[in-house]
Amino acid sequence: MSDKIKLTVIGGGPGGYAAAFLAADLGMDVTLIDLDKNPGGVCLYRGCIPSKALLHVAKLIHEAEEAKNWGIEFGAPKIDVNKLRDFKNNVVNKLTGGLGQISRQRKINFIQGRASFINSSTLKIEKVDGQTIEHTFEKAIIATGSVVTTIPSLNIQSKRLLNSTSALDLPEIPKSLLVIGGGYIGLELGSVYQALGTKVSVVEMMPGLLPGADRDLVNYLSMRIKKSFAEVMTNSKVLEMRELVPSGKEVKGGISVKIQDDKGTVVDKVYDYVLMSIGRKPETKGLGLENTKVTLTDRGWVKVDKQLRTTDPNIFAIGDIAGEPMLAHKASHEGKTAVEVIAGHKVTFEPLAIPAVVFTDPEIAWAGITEEQAKKDRIKYEVAKFPWAASGRAVTLDRPDGVTKLIVDPDTQRLLGVGICGAGAGELIAEGVLAIEMGANVTDLKLTIHPHPTLSETIMEAAEVFFGQSSHFYKPKR
Amino acid sequence: MATEFKLPELGENIESADVANVLVKEGDTVKKDQAVLEIETDKATIEVPSTVEGIITKLLIKAGDKVKVGAVIMIVDEGKNAESKLVEEQHKAEIEKENNVTEVKTEPEVEYKAAPSTKSSGKKEIVDFRLPDLGENITSAEVANVLIKVGDIVSLDQAILEIETDKATIEVPSTVAGKVVEVLVKAGSKATVGNVMFRVESVVAEAGESETLEVKKTEIEEPLKVEVKKEPVLTPTGDRESLQRMEFENQPPVLKGAAPAAPSVRRIAREIGVDINKVPGTGPGGRISMDDVKAFSKKLHESYSQSGGAGLNIKSESLPDFSKFGSVNKVEMTNIRKKTADHLSYAWATIPHVTQFDKADITLLEKSRKDLNKNSETKLTVTAILVRIIVEALKKFPQFNSSIDMEKKEIIYKNYFNIGVAVDTEFGLIVPVIKNSDKKTLSEIATEMNALAEKARNKKIGLDDLQGGCFSISNLGGIGGTYFTPIINSPEVAILGVSRGNLEPVWNGYGVFEPRLMLPLSLSYDHRIIDGADAIRFLRFVVETLENPIKLLL
Repeated sequence: MSDKIKLTVIGGGPGGYAAAFLAADLGMDVTLIDLDKNPGGVCLYRGCIPSKALLHVAKLIHEAEEAKNWGIEFGAPKIDVNKLRDFKNNVVNKLTGGLGQISRQRKINFIQGRASFINSSTLKIEKVDGQTIEHTFEKAIIATGSVVTTIPSLNIQSKRLLNSTSALDLPEIPKSLLVIGGGYIGLELGSVYQALGTKVSVVEMMPGLLPGADRDLVNYLSMRIKKSFAEVMTNSKVLEMRELVPSGKEVKGGISVKIQDDKGTVVDKVYDYVLMSIGRKPETKGLGLENTKVTLTDRGWVKVDKQLRTTDPNIFAIGDIAGEPMLAHKASHEGKTAVEVIAGHKVTFEPLAIPAVVFTDPEIAWAGITEEQAKKDRIKYEVAKFPWAASGRAVTLDRPDGVTKLIVDPDTQRLLGVGICGAGAGELIAEGVLAIEMGANVTDLKLTIHPHPTLSETIMEAAEVFFGQSSHFYKPKR
Repeated sequence: MATEFKLPELGENIESADVANVLVKEGDTVKKDQAVLEIETDKATIEVPSTVEGIITKLLIKAGDKVKVGAVIMIVDEGKNAESKLVEEQHKAEIEKENNVTEVKTEPEVEYKAAPSTKSSGKKEIVDFRLPDLGENITSAEVANVLIKVGDIVSLDQAILEIETDKATIEVPSTVAGKVVEVLVKAGSKATVGNVMFRVESVVAEAGESETLEVKKTEIEEPLKVEVKKEPVLTPTGDRESLQRMEFENQPPVLKGAAPAAPSVRRIAREIGVDINKVPGTGPGGRISMDDVKAFSKKLHESYSQSGGAGLNIKSESLPDFSKFGSVNKVEMTNIRKKTADHLSYAWATIPHVTQFDKADITLLEKSRKDLNKNSETKLTVTAILVRIIVEALKKFPQFNSSIDMEKKEIIYKNYFNIGVAVDTEFGLIVPVIKNSDKKTLSEIATEMNALAEKARNKKIGLDDLQGGCFSISNLGGIGGTYFTPIINSPEVAILGVSRGNLEPVWNGYGVFEPRLMLPLSLSYDHRIIDGADAIRFLRFVVETLENPIKLLL
């Protein structure tokens, strides 16, 4: 009998494959189960990666347009949707294919199918080739992620009602699009379609876009979106939707929408397409969890402890299904932690900061504590902000619409949080995450030489602002 | 006349506390001893009663604040002067017309009874049941069983929860009565003293004890106030709803109280079993380096070996994978089992045990015991007789009725005689204590022992019944065996083990072996305080008294 631990990972997203790969590296006998042909999950097939490919294109279109102001004119772009879709699909295939190869190199038993628990040591797998097999394991990791949420009353049967998955398939470039939900998915996809020439409107129930993020960061984005989007309706909600059937020349196809605006007035509007992006939720149905000792939290997530163990001693859970934040990088880190725990290492999931990035234009990113959270939890803090208008690099890019801010413990001057809004904020935030994880204080940031001229300097300068000593932003210490 | 209400002394060494909840608002009327605040100290959540009465004109704190002892919490108008207050309040009320300040606008008398009046006029009221104090040092416990469900009608003192503390499983009686509208705990969850366990809708009886005549009067005058009371019940649910809508309400509160140390340092600390939060950091802002962790760990080990805790810090050997050898079952230890394991390991590791053996001839004793039992309702047992004999032995040998304080290098002698008797129950070993055994007759001891054992087996035992023992007796004779070496129930210093009595041939001194009933006894004692010779004397005394009970009278 082999003394290798027999581990089965259900779900091949960024959490699942990271777990499977590390487990193989640690010498376990690993099976990875996923419905898709290769590992990758929502992130690679239907989420982060395809949307970023499209957002890259969107950014290019915007910059080409803005080049007018710098004396360069390209003329209106000609967009070949089919070719653009191919580019996106190629990106996805390249990356998922690569993961498949790495998985084989690691001698992982990859099964394409749908798994559900028969008991705490056996799975039933319905393979995509039609075969059904039983599969036993010593330890299992549930990494099946989340699915898009919908508003049941608005769930009409129409090709013109998109969700984040179908929106990424680029059925065509609509003339007008209503995005329901001003969260990051809605704004990212809305930005893509806006760049491609669609008139995009957003409706959000809360008073502002990106609820939960600090307002001073969101403001720059709101300002830009208000200019580029056709309409931003906050404090508003969609009451009803109905597909219009084309009839002769008078009525073209589309979706008629009843919207209640911030004043309570109900208006009727017609859009070519509607994208519902109100969030994601864990999907626990169909996994056969009732045949195990796994239990759920009140809000529907699988209950896990800090070592990602579920209430069933054989079963672990990671990623979206194990709770918020539902982010790929959280899932991967959890996946690796779970595998280490299974390998008998004494570890727990204990990050000090999980960065969040919204890939809009400008990007918004933060890590550690937000100001909103600090206020809510009554944590003592001080803020130091460096506006990008004072950054040489931002001005050369003609993108002064940004800010870098540090949230600092006034007693120890320890860095508690970093928030950045601006072009490339998603890349810049990593420095903040490392600083928080290392327990760095503001002086550490101030005394670290940053390359000139780069946007990364804004972090150092924000630290200087804390002491009232920023070279490029005069704001004496009170 | 305005009076300040300051945060009073909260007890041992507590200088400040976090305000968990403010139970009053500006404009409210407070009575003496009415709870105005809930504060959270290191030890527990406490309600702070008011020492003043009158109308709150200013409230200076809110939930979440840190408050120092002596800080002003609120300013109260001690309203003897009803007139001026009325004017003032009316003025205020005009400003905030829509608010519920109206409550205060009524007659001064009414204000005293604001709380009870809502009760009676509302007829129905939601009342919280909070987990009461469970005894010394217990702040939380595991809920073993919830005995009620939504819709049930509970009455006062009805058992509503079974909770498992470190020491025993206890039934918690209700202090409220009414229809259960919400149950906030379930079996297996952890309950903290002071937390709400369930809510009932209490139908207030017309002739409630606390309701005075004046209350009835106010009832007629003020039918309005029902709504005021409802408010606090509704707010939290509203909050929860809005929370769920937040898309980025998802960042874990990671930084709260996290030690400033790099991930690599945190991981090493965990691996070597050091709590990173306890390591003093030497870097700027208290940052913890790898060297800090190592230094702290070294210090820990040194202090362990100094305290003579031989082997307490021994790492447990890793277990093999038993399932390789055959099928296994894994069951989580119950709290009693965990506690027993910890407690006995501690006793075994810290007390130098010696066990002394002897045998007592109980032929005569057994004969007279059985004779007595024939005509008596209470059945005497050997253990009950032993309790009585041990009391006398403790009087004669006081070092057996003591405890050692190694830190202060003191011996604590006890002038009371509480004898613990080990009871085997289906959910573990429990040692109920017979208090003041020296003042009880044999039959009283026997009756009490039976009652305690019964309570222990029915999970009805209170913590009180398990505390304060001086010396323990463990009688396994009912099951069998010749001798065993009992482990001392620390901080006691000796324990008597009793095995099964057997007929044995005993040389009578006159040329004949006689069949005698011999009872094997084992006395384990703490050699730090008891010398071997004393132990033999003690045990001989017990043996001789069993053989010749008249010694009890000497």
